[in-house]
Parts: sequence; structure tokens; C-alpha cells
Amino acid sequence: MDKHNCAFNDAQKFSLVKREAIYTGLALVGLIIFWLVAGFGTSAVDVKIFHLPLWAVLGTVGVWLAGIAIAALLSRKLFTDMDLGGDDDER
Amino acid sequence: MNGNLSALLPLLLFMAVMVAISVYVRNRQAGKNFVSSYFVGNRQLGGFVLAMTTVATYSSVSSFVGGPGMAYQVGFGWIYMAVVQVTAIFLVLGIFGKRVALLARKLNAVTVVDIIRARFQSDLLAAIAAFVIVLFFCGTMTAQFVGGAKLFAAVTGYSYEAGLILFGLTVVIYTSIGGFRAVALTDTCCALIMMVGIVLLLHYVLQAGGGYENIMTTLEANNPELFEPFSFGNMPWTIYFTQWLLVGICTIALPQSVVRGISYKNTQGLHQAMLIGTVVVGFMNIGINFTGILAHGVLTGTAADYGGVDNIIPTTIVKAMPAELVGLAIIGPLAASISTISGLLIVASSAIVKDVYLHWADKNQRIVTPARVKFLSMATTALIGAAVFVIALTPPSLIWLINMFAFGGLETAFFWTLLLGLFWKRANKLGALLSMTGGTIVYCATQAAGFKFMNLHQITIGITCSLILFLIGSYLGKRTDDATLKVFFP
Repeated sequence: MDKHNCAFNDAQKFSLVKREAIYTGLALVGLIIFWLVAGFGTSAVDVKIFHLPLWAVLGTVGVWLAGIAIAALLSRKLFTDMDLGGDDDER
Repeated sequence: MNGNLSALLPLLLFMAVMVAISVYVRNRQAGKNFVSSYFVGNRQLGGFVLAMTTVATYSSVSSFVGGPGMAYQVGFGWIYMAVVQVTAIFLVLGIFGKRVALLARKLNAVTVVDIIRARFQSDLLAAIAAFVIVLFFCGTMTAQFVGGAKLFAAVTGYSYEAGLILFGLTVVIYTSIGGFRAVALTDTCCALIMMVGIVLLLHYVLQAGGGYENIMTTLEANNPELFEPFSFGNMPWTIYFTQWLLVGICTIALPQSVVRGISYKNTQGLHQAMLIGTVVVGFMNIGINFTGILAHGVLTGTAADYGGVDNIIPTTIVKAMPAELVGLAIIGPLAASISTISGLLIVASSAIVKDVYLHWADKNQRIVTPARVKFLSMATTALIGAAVFVIALTPPSLIWLINMFAFGGLETAFFWTLLLGLFWKRANKLGALLSMTGGTIVYCATQAAGFKFMNLHQITIGITCSLILFLIGSYLGKRTDDATLKVFFP
């Protein structure tokens, strides 16, 4: 389905929105796993970056960057533009 | 008053800009649908403003004061815990953003309670939801007022009351005048100021501490607990677990966040906001908490030596920054405070005026003139703000606990009602009623009794009871009628 095709009917829109919510939920699960592995998972590794232990870098900045990547994936690849319907209340 | 005048001037200027924005918005919106423009800004927010207002409302003064103070005490484990908040923006906008926007346009809804009322066909549930919003929001707003005023007093040398009057009254005035659109625009300014404030403070902390190398080398030698995820027992796993719920997953159901889904213009804006919001919320959380740890380069004692974790950032500002820049530095935390207050104030006002009064008038065929709606909306906003202002004049003790209590209460009340209500056909009125009332009562009771399960925050009990009650009600109660289901699940 064309990502920029706005000509969906009501049922299609709600179906797409449901699918997008599921993608978001899966993204959350992915980020939780990444958070666990990046932080606790590397806490025994004796590597330092800029005086910081590896777990502190991956578990903070790493998780942030992963969050940005997920938000970008969701919003640019998996989510679909659509007309939200109704008037815009500019009255 | 013997305060630092140079610290006061930037604040006065900042507050004047906030009021000016509000007056400008008010004039621009003249002649448009008042209820829609006042409570959701005519659904005209673009991506950048949507991101910033969502982040600013979500980031409170405790993110800038209590949080980094804890990071000073606990170390990188605190940042590791706080970074779970990067999920907050893409989750709420990704899960509820479009669904709420579609429904709001179909139902002509301007509040979250409007949508709950339509989904469950229950005025009682709507009234309870409005009550819960006003109750818990007042607690959160009081915490913001008190936190902001204490920070102001500690840094500028002026009195607590002077701080409260300066920024407390300003936020009440500009929210009352300009409504949601003004809140969104001022929130955007606040979020930008918060980021500038973080960078400014970080710069001066590094300078005062003799540079990054020096601070970190000293910390590695003297404070090894800061570099361990459990901080030698100061950060148990229970804190990590409950923070994922409290400030991560369950924040998707906070009414002040969900209402942003009603307010944006188009889906392109929503997609932009998901990305921008995630970038900004991560920057703020990591930036300010990292600054809290680096404050060891400026302060040499324990948090207790400075009167507790809440005094770490104010003391650092005073010690690390030139006197003439102190005013600029505290604009950031105060911006976090006022942006949260304004966001809550407008939703609390809509709960009373739109969800209770206008619905009652409509049901009883009472004619409410546009002028009266306008007067009532502004007066209600001002009155709620004034009431919280008066409570904050004699600050209650344990204010930060009240803040977290309110956060958990809202999540317990709304999480399943919104999530299951909007995505599960079987969800019905009885389930939502039991979940919202039963869950909230159980949550409040366990908080009052100090009862915990496995030493976890009471949100875990509240949210579990709320789910169980929702499922019981939904399977025992009457199914939602087909006409309603067709609207919500076409």
C-alpha cells in the first residue's frame, strides 16, 4: 500500500491505526530488550569509553539512540499518512 | 527583600514573554469556535510544537531538581533508569495519537473524557474520570508550584512567596487568557529554554570542576558506587522495574499526554513529533542527570551535607555559575515547572467546564451562550490555578511523594480504560467503571497504608487490580451496543 495514499475509508484507517499501535508495542518490547542487554548485560565488561564503563554508555546514550532509531523507523517507514477526516474547526 | 536583582531580571523578562504570547494567541483566535480553540487549539498544532508541548508537559520540575540530585547520589544507574523515558513520546503518539485524532473528529470531542463517555456510553464514568483528573492534577500542580518556588528562593535569595507570586500567578494568568494554543506555544518556548539551561549549566559545572577529565578521574577514585548499575545497593531492581511502569509504559495513558492526540493538524505532524520528541526527551534526561553527577566537581560533600538531593542543583547553580547568569540558569527548571502546570491546568479546566458543566447543560437543554462559555472557561482555569496557588502558600510536607502518588493514580485510573477501551471491542461500561474506581481506590488505600508487594511501588498493585477488575466487568457486564462499536471499530 502506498505510504502517502490518503484515500482510505474509515475501516481501512482504523485497521492501519491498529496495526501501527501493534508496531509501536513491538518496538517497546524491542527497546526493553535492548535496554536490558545494553545496560545490565554489559555491566561485567571491563571496557571504558571517556572514563565511563561500557554499560553506562550503552545503557544511556545507546538506549537514547536506539529510541531515536525506533521512532524514525516507526514514523518514516511503518506509519502511514492519512486524512484524519472531519473539519479542522477553523470557524 | 534582599535578593539577587540580576537573577530576577531574566525571569521577569521570560514571564513577560509568556504572557505576551498568550495575549497574542487570544487575539488571533477571536471569532473561532471558542471551546475547540480554548481546550485543544483548534486541532492546528504542527509537528514541532506537538513534540515540544508533549515533552514540556511531561518533564516536570522534579526532572530538573530531584532527578539530577538523585543522580548525584546514586550515579549512572540513575541515568540508566531515567532513560526509559525516551519511550514516552513515541509510545503515546504511536499508540493513541491517530486513533484519538480520528475519534475526536468523528465525535467532535475536545477532551479525553469526551471520548471515554462516547466509548462506554456512561455519564457516571465520565464524571468519575473528570473528578480523578481534577483531584490528581491538583496534587501534581501543587508539587510544581512548591518545587519551583523553593528553587527560586534558594537560588535568587528572594522569598519563597515572592517566587510563588512571580511564576505561579504568571502561569495561571497566561493559561487562563490563551488556553491550549497558548499553552502549546509557551511549552515550546519552555522546552527550548530547558535545553539551553542544561547546556549552560553543564558548561559552567565542567568549568568549575576543572574539566571533564579531572572530575571523572576524581569520581573513579573516590566514588566507585556511581559507576555500578545497582550503586552498591542504592538502586535495587525494584526501582528499575517500577520506573519502567511509572515513567515509561503507563505514561501513555496520562490524560494530559493523550489530549495532545486531539490537538494536532495532520499525520505528517504526528510522525515528526514522534521523532523530535524522542530526541528532545532523551537529551533532557541524559543531559540534566549527567550534569547532576558531574556536580561532584563543584560540591564535595554528600547530598545530605547540602540538605538533601533536592538542594544539589540549586546549590550547584549558585556555586558554579556567575551571579549575572544565575537567573538564566533557573529559567530552565522553572520553565519545566510552569509548562507542566499550564498543561495540567487547561485539562483540569476542560474536565469541569466541558466534561461536566456543558454536558449537563446540553442534556438538560439549557442554553449556554458563547460569551458565558468563554467566561466560565477562563474563570474556571483561573480558579483552579488560584486554589492550587493558595495550597502552595503553605507547602505540605512530602510534596515529592504527592507528585509521584498523583502520577501513579492517573495511570491506574486511565491505563486500561483507554488502552482496552480503544483497542478491544469486548471492553464495556462495567469493566471501565470497576477498573477506574476499584483500581484507583486500591491504589490510594495501599498508598495510605504504606502496603507494598515485594517492595515495589504501589502502581504495580493499582495497575494489576485495575486490569483484573476491567476483565471481570467486561466478561460479566452487558456488551457495548453495535452503534457505538461501529463508531470505534468500523
